Amino acid sequence: MPLLELASLTAGYGAVQALRGLDLTVEEGEIVTLLGANGAGKSTTLRCISGLLTPTAGEIRFSGKAISGMHAERVVRLGIAHVPEGRRVFPGLTVKENILLGASNRRVPRAILKHEAEEMFALFPDLLRFADTLGWMLSGGQQQMVALARGLMARPRLLLLDEPSLGLAPLIVQQVFRIIAKIREAGTTVLLVEQNARIALAIADRGYVLETGRLVVAGKPEALWNNDDVRAAYLGGKRLSEEKYTR
Amino acid sequence: MAIVLQLLFTGLGIGAVYALVALGFVLIYRATNVVNFAQGQFAMLGGYCMVITTADLGLPYWLGILITLLVMALFGAIFNLGVYYPLRHRSFLPVVISTIGASILITNLVLAIYGPEPTTLPGMTDYPGISFGAVFLDAQYLVIIATTLALVILQYFFFEHTMIGKKMQAVSQDKEMASLLGINVTAMIMLTFTYSAVLGGIAGILVAPILFVSVGLGAQIALKAFAASIIGGFGDVPGAIVGGLLIGVAETLGAFYISVPYKDAFAFILLFAFLLIRPQGIFGEKIAQKA
Repeated sequence: MPLLELASLTAGYGAVQALRGLDLTVEEGEIVTLLGANGAGKSTTLRCISGLLTPTAGEIRFSGKAISGMHAERVVRLGIAHVPEGRRVFPGLTVKENILLGASNRRVPRAILKHEAEEMFALFPDLLRFADTLGWMLSGGQQQMVALARGLMARPRLLLLDEPSLGLAPLIVQQVFRIIAKIREAGTTVLLVEQNARIALAIADRGYVLETGRLVVAGKPEALWNNDDVRAAYLGGKRLSEEKYTR
Repeated sequence: MAIVLQLLFTGLGIGAVYALVALGFVLIYRATNVVNFAQGQFAMLGGYCMVITTADLGLPYWLGILITLLVMALFGAIFNLGVYYPLRHRSFLPVVISTIGASILITNLVLAIYGPEPTTLPGMTDYPGISFGAVFLDAQYLVIIATTLALVILQYFFFEHTMIGKKMQAVSQDKEMASLLGINVTAMIMLTFTYSAVLGGIAGILVAPILFVSVGLGAQIALKAFAASIIGGFGDVPGAIVGGLLIGVAETLGAFYISVPYKDAFAFILLFAFLLIRPQGIFGEKIAQKA
């Protein structure tokens, strides 16, 4: 049984259909990446899974349990943490407070909570110096670290990451992705949405490519890497399929 | 000199009441991004609840206070469910109109039940006060200042040093993110309304002995408290407290030195001055995110 299973998932915003019947599975322990251009429906998929958006049709199952339409506060208690686009670090709370609040989905005694927060600072040593700094004062890279640490504090079985590389310097992007690889090694399954296909495919076990709410192609990173359509659309290059369409 | 100190003391006392109501404005604004125009009526209800329990029913003062606080907490919860909750996914304006409607309803219900004649409430203690040379510190004003100070300290401790306080701050800063973390957003907003209603009730309990208890009490305090919140930079907690005290002092000094009939105008002159010179509020932008 896959950890996460989407079956003909359909969703939208008002009259705009953002997802038109998406099928997708994530097995326990995998990093699966969701690729596609702006408006392909990647973020919408994550929003449906975490309960921010109620799908109009289709199924979402998390370790066999139907969760579509369930409220976000309940979904995270089941073990799905969503680190949304734009990091969304609480601007008026300190780094430490942001991280501590990540455990709001569980009942943890204060002493253990403190210890868990220390573990996060061990995983993100660069944050230690900013423990008492307010969220809005951090750089984008630091905010991304805080958002990741806060997500991990939920002790999720599945971590949903939306564009963790967005707006970060290349060196920081590498640092973030090394941590994502480490997170998987520690046993957390990751569903990763990225526009930076190159770096996402480098760490993923499998990938899905979306276009305007539909699945275009899915497969192993090497296969996607060598797929001309994918290369054309996301890696820069000649787009063969365009010739097909014009014929 | 003595007269200035005397006026300062009186001004701080009435200013503390404005500060409490202003705090209610700010807390609800931060939690829901909506201005609750019924906040002043919370104070009026608190005053009437005291009159009913102590003067009419003859209960002891402390029991009256206890009942008033409980009634206000319950009222805050009902207010949240009836006035805010059904419109929580709507924009700013429908909710604001809803609170204005609630404010009119409350005022007229009290008018229908209690009539238009103002009543009075005796002070908390029979003890008149303390004299420092030529300065007389009236007992009720001392109670007001001490209670406000205690509440501000308590609230600071609650928001800065408890997990639930942190969760309330998180909800006020980003509701969607808070729900993604598993924070019960609905419960936090409910708590905010309950606490704001209690704060308004306390303001009413404190101010009833020095002003007349009438249906106009709410609007009278709310206008000044609203001005105080704006002077403080709307949404800023320390700003609202200092803004309230500033208005209290300004109107007391203004009434004594310039004109008694124009007493109420001084709050708004101060408001104009701030809007012209320092529209970001007393403490400016930097701490606007912090409770």
